[in-house]
Amino acid sequence: MPHADNDVGRRAFLARIGVLGAAVAAGSLLPGTATAAPRPVRAAGLTDVVAALRPVLAELARDTLNGLVVMTCPGPDAYSRAQGTPRTEPGALEARATDFLIKALDEYVPFPDQLATPLTQSLATGLSGTPLPSALLDLPLSGVRTLDTALRTLLENDDTLPLSSLIAMLLNLVATEVNPLALGGAFLSPFARLSYADKCRVFEQLEGPHAGLVALLDANLPEPLRASVSGVLQFVAGAVLEFAAYGSSCEWAVFDPATKTISARPVGWQLSGYQPHGVVHGWDDFLGYYQGRTKVENV
Amino acid sequence: MRDVIVIGAGAGGSVVAKELAGRGLDVLVLEAGGYADPETDWTHYENDANNPLTGFMRFGPADRSRPAWFRETPQNSLLWQLAGVGGTTQHYFGNSPRAYPGVFAGYDGSDAAAYDTAHLFPFTYADLVPYYEWVEATLPVHTAAMGTKESVFFRGCEKLGMALQTTKTTTADSYRPQENAILPPGGTAGRFSGHDDPRVQWPLATGCTFCGYCFQGCKHPAGAPRTMAAKRSADNSYMPMALTADAWSPHGKPVSLVTDAFVTRIRSEQRGGETVATGVSWRSVTTGEEHTEDARVVVLSAGCTENPRLWFNSGLPNPNDWVGRGYTDHYFDWVIGLFDDYTGSTKGAASAARADFPGRGGIMNVGLPPAIQQFALTFSDSGIRGQYGNGRGFTGPWDGPTGRLMGEELKEVLTHGADRLFNILIMTDDDVEPHNRATLSALPADEHGPVAKVEMRQRARSARTVANREFLARKAVEVVRAAGARKVFRIDWPPLILHVHSSMRMGLSERDSVLDDAAEARWVRRLFVADNSALANALGGPNPTLTSQAVATRTAEQIVRRYFGGEGWVRTESPVVSTDARVTRRFAQVAAN
Repeated sequence: MPHADNDVGRRAFLARIGVLGAAVAAGSLLPGTATAAPRPVRAAGLTDVVAALRPVLAELARDTLNGLVVMTCPGPDAYSRAQGTPRTEPGALEARATDFLIKALDEYVPFPDQLATPLTQSLATGLSGTPLPSALLDLPLSGVRTLDTALRTLLENDDTLPLSSLIAMLLNLVATEVNPLALGGAFLSPFARLSYADKCRVFEQLEGPHAGLVALLDANLPEPLRASVSGVLQFVAGAVLEFAAYGSSCEWAVFDPATKTISARPVGWQLSGYQPHGVVHGWDDFLGYYQGRTKVENV
Repeated sequence: MRDVIVIGAGAGGSVVAKELAGRGLDVLVLEAGGYADPETDWTHYENDANNPLTGFMRFGPADRSRPAWFRETPQNSLLWQLAGVGGTTQHYFGNSPRAYPGVFAGYDGSDAAAYDTAHLFPFTYADLVPYYEWVEATLPVHTAAMGTKESVFFRGCEKLGMALQTTKTTTADSYRPQENAILPPGGTAGRFSGHDDPRVQWPLATGCTFCGYCFQGCKHPAGAPRTMAAKRSADNSYMPMALTADAWSPHGKPVSLVTDAFVTRIRSEQRGGETVATGVSWRSVTTGEEHTEDARVVVLSAGCTENPRLWFNSGLPNPNDWVGRGYTDHYFDWVIGLFDDYTGSTKGAASAARADFPGRGGIMNVGLPPAIQQFALTFSDSGIRGQYGNGRGFTGPWDGPTGRLMGEELKEVLTHGADRLFNILIMTDDDVEPHNRATLSALPADEHGPVAKVEMRQRARSARTVANREFLARKAVEVVRAAGARKVFRIDWPPLILHVHSSMRMGLSERDSVLDDAAEARWVRRLFVADNSALANALGGPNPTLTSQAVATRTAEQIVRRYFGGEGWVRTESPVVSTDARVTRRFAQVAAN
């Protein structure tokens, strides 16, 4: 049974990575909350909680990444409004950039277990010290412990946790470091609650050459993985932003791989005016040869 | 027992295979990826083509439902590597400039000290010129046609009073149309727009139709035979010639090509105190079956990242610890201008204009479709522009600090219009530095053995390299502003590991090179390297493919001389052009089978 001080730390940690709030919102994972279904966790058993936690983590990841993709292509959505940059034209959410990112991260990024495991274990070790909103503090301790155990079970079993969830937890953890007020408010995800400027602070923490969080995670790792994890974290921080921008502007959302056709004009094409009448076999852009030169001297 | 096994069917491997097949040797080519059929496998959609995880142009199995192959890149970077016949030329831009003479041994021009003089090529520029000419005739290489975006670039250069280069060899600061491996627009090509109009299709249109899809793989003009595709990537040019050698060479023998064949080991034995290559082991990517093949000579052409990996996994000697080191990438950067007027950025050959600055590097215009354009704008080592600089965020003649564009600023650029942007790529003459390297990852092996790890210490580059990049970035800004840009961004790219060179470098000294002047491994007899990894340095900045192909042609001659009792042919014979009708006819039969 965890020590009481540790309980406080774990509660804070679960809140900061977004899991505690998401579990409360889901309603079936924690007893004694306003929205919770009257089903005692202890009776349900750990296996059931682990199973119930999976979709919660998936929703948390989606919410977090919604908050991420609008950094690259804001639009008329709630996440863009929340970060303070609403736009009237379609944006990343209309381009389904979140789905693009989740699918890429979970199905195609060949992220080795040997990187995922120490990273998740570093997350499982957790950080503490952030004051929690009273709603989260009031949660019954036994439920939090079970949730904590369920999350640890998932984290320590590297086959079961999608990379999108891992990245979302990381973003949320840093989000609450950047702005502790992100622990409560609209959305499931602390990261999604941040202003655009604060989201930028999160990435500053992740990709900086001497980022404190990276150093902290690194410190938990044995050589030779230590440098690999910090390097890969810097890689991931850049890649999720670049991939979000790419996903907002390409045809993925409307592409049918079976027929290799698109069902609608991609958002990126609409916004940029790219090939207004669709794919071409040629353009009338041949202007001739510069100063009429069709060859150069062979010297 | 084969005469020669070539590992990899990219820009270098296909050249060696074609040249040796033309001499009648029994050549087996093993390629880890597939041989795409553009008609059925390729589209003109950016993500379908270029997504490095899932696109048909990625480093991974031809079966796209399977994950890409993992490489460890422990820094903010992107390693852009391609599997499949044609290798990286499947998405290259066809640019075929020669290297600057100053990067070769024996150069005594007044600017001789301006280059990476510690890592020169182990032969002279004059030695390589006949091989350049041979490749230029084979591909063939032409002076590029001009579209709107080239006219913008030239306008900027003219206003700055720059000199125009009118020769193949670059000797002074100058600008010019690219020399590129793209067939010139013929018939109605480049004069009409559309999809179904016969005037944008073969046979009314020949050569480049200005479709703008170089990066997604060239299959134009629509309806043309594969061998007549405008962009002369290795899958359209050299590999078809290798597969049809009996049709165009009086003593030719077609190569055997096996795709989905991942080589996992170079086999060797000790003979008279020397290590000698004897063949390879390879694994079928589709079935997992293991195979071995013996050969008199093995040619390693799997690229700058996979060659060192395979070397280490094969347990080959590395006495000076230079295998995998000296990995150069042209220390890329981007300068991107916003124009009020149409620039035609998404149309025409991806890049048909350049400027060169011997001793510094080069710059060239690049047209991009929107998703890759957004990637180019968001890939930075300077943090998020206006928010944090990640220890950098340089200021200069561009507008604001360097950094990735994000949020409303990025959206403003996108909605400004894909065809009102103008991009210049900076290609730095970067020094060969041993700490930039490909080695083995401590992360777990995949089914082909321990995977590669590529370390690029972006912030520890030499003072000369950094100064060169700054010089070129400022030049690019001058050109873009002179051409009329309203706003100019500089991005400060992290390593985009694409123009890769010299990780298995040939060199003058055995202290810091892996290959001798014939591109044979110093410590493994009968093992040659023929691709960008064999290059001695970063060429001074010019795009590497042509030089790689010229050196590979020279290497093919050296193989014949050293191990098959023959003589060279480049100085005594005339090359057959890859668009020769005999190649087209026979390749259609080969492809049908």
